[in-house]
Amino acid sequence: MKRNWISYPYIIWMIIFIVVPLLLVVFYSVIVVTEDGLTFTLEFYKRFMQPVYIKVLIRSIVLALISTFICLLIGYPVALILAGKGVSRKNTLILLFVIPMWMNFLLRTYAWLTLLEKNGLINTMLSWFGIKPLNLLYTSEAVVLGMVYNFLPFMVLPIYSVLSKIDKSVIEAAEDLGANSYKVFTKIIFPLSLPGVMSGITMVFMPAVTTFVISRLLGGGQFTLIGNLIDRQFTTVGDWNFGSALSVVMMILILISMAIMTRYDKDREGSALL
Amino acid sequence: MARKIIELVNVSKDYDGTEALKNINLYIRENEFVTLLGPSGCGKTTTLRIIGGFESPTSGEVLFEGVNINSLPPYKRKVNTVFQKYALFTHMNVFENVAFGLKIKKLDKKVIKEKVENALNMVNLSGFEKRSVDSLSGGQQQRVAIARAIVNEPQVLLLDEPLGALDLKLRKEMQIELKNMQKRLGITFIYVTHDQEEALTMSDTIVVMRDGTIQQIGTPEDIYNEPKNAFVADFIGESNIIDGIMIKDYLVRFADHEFECVDKGFDEGEAVDVVVRPEDVKIVKEGEGMLRGSVISVTFKGVHYEMIVESNGYKWMVHSTMMEPAGSRVGLYIKPYDIQIMKKVAI
Repeated sequence: MKRNWISYPYIIWMIIFIVVPLLLVVFYSVIVVTEDGLTFTLEFYKRFMQPVYIKVLIRSIVLALISTFICLLIGYPVALILAGKGVSRKNTLILLFVIPMWMNFLLRTYAWLTLLEKNGLINTMLSWFGIKPLNLLYTSEAVVLGMVYNFLPFMVLPIYSVLSKIDKSVIEAAEDLGANSYKVFTKIIFPLSLPGVMSGITMVFMPAVTTFVISRLLGGGQFTLIGNLIDRQFTTVGDWNFGSALSVVMMILILISMAIMTRYDKDREGSALL
Repeated sequence: MARKIIELVNVSKDYDGTEALKNINLYIRENEFVTLLGPSGCGKTTTLRIIGGFESPTSGEVLFEGVNINSLPPYKRKVNTVFQKYALFTHMNVFENVAFGLKIKKLDKKVIKEKVENALNMVNLSGFEKRSVDSLSGGQQQRVAIARAIVNEPQVLLLDEPLGALDLKLRKEMQIELKNMQKRLGITFIYVTHDQEEALTMSDTIVVMRDGTIQQIGTPEDIYNEPKNAFVADFIGESNIIDGIMIKDYLVRFADHEFECVDKGFDEGEAVDVVVRPEDVKIVKEGEGMLRGSVISVTFKGVHYEMIVESNGYKWMVHSTMMEPAGSRVGLYIKPYDIQIMKKVAI
């Protein structure tokens, strides 16, 4: 307790770069600076209630949910294989999963551009089989693809970490009591891995719902997500008040989804990853 | 004699070139309480896991009621296991844990409820149905693990050092409880332990193992009173093990003295191991016994004193309820039938 002062630099850092900006965002979302001084208003939240913006919000949530679901579908079996036997191959596989995470996120997403383009790698290969070039880029599928590609490790790693901690003797006990491998999975392994699944879902859903880079690069102009909307308010439109209101809405959205996840996860430990 | 229920024939097990079991031959009768006893790494747990189906033998046969079950997976075997670390399902409560095996068999809900209640009653855990297993003490978790196994009414129950994690008092209570349970249920128990006292207390038959081989199979009395070799003698209880030479039948020389004994059939002049239990060495007045020496140390052990007596350079461990103070000169007397003579083996 006497060494509290060691944490002061960090606390100061947090105050300057996290707490103050957050407060500023909230401040800008409800206060307009006019010549008369400061006026309180909910006008920006009202503006958000227009169907155009609600649609953007819903689209963001739906695309994020789809990506999360696909990540779970792909990620769970991968985690299961990683946590399984065969230690020699295991480390190589984990490495393969982690290496892309060391590379810059933007670079990885740009790489997909060249793959999906009209004259890109995939269409070129398809043309060899006489298939006409497909419109792969600037579709919602491309955005989902980008999200799944970028966020898959965040699904695999927490599930893997929970799975690998399951005591082998618990699985043997289930076999001993008459459970075949299907029953062992449904009754023991899957329920025990739920905390990891919950962390995985949270860790994929949150960046997916807030992304603006993936939707801008792979979705083109058509696919405005809430992240793009906020980005535009600050960078092109210059409407800091509306941008702040949107940010607050998004933060509330994230807090709600986190609350749901942690509630589900409460008595099952495993939230340590978050 | 009861039927043989499990038989291991020439069973060997290799782990990446190291032999965990070397040609084990063993049979277990119905309703028997058999203990596999030995130091860690002797292969006792491997033997149990082979019977449970978690390991398959590299060579040899495992027979269950005369039928080879080498390739039968664990979930099809009529044995249940109580694991060393309990291996309870932490995402289920006590009732669900115990009911697991019955639910897999798709029994009627009413029947399941009744059986689970019976099983919990048997391990004195009635009323704990809704408790989460994490909230139970070690002893209670152990009992849930036992209930979870016996509720399936297996023909054979395998127990892998189930009391290892409990404190001494609880362990003693559970030993008696388990023994009573085995008698009441009338099922075969195969019990693995490294605790010789536990083995002596509970077993009908003890199998002493060492380095993947069976050293001796017998009743607790046999094993204690007639150990086959110096290893068994040393592992089961405490012993004085001395090099000796067989002079002729019924006469052995050790500790620079000739002793009458009850063993015969050795070569004349054959080097042997002589084993004398500490409680069989009697302290008498100096000059009255076969040996004379002086007490080096005295330790109070509760029921008895443990004294080390040095005589002609040999140190004898003596257990007696009468204490001789350190430094006093005494005589030592050993009765012929308390002298165990066995062929030499390296320990």
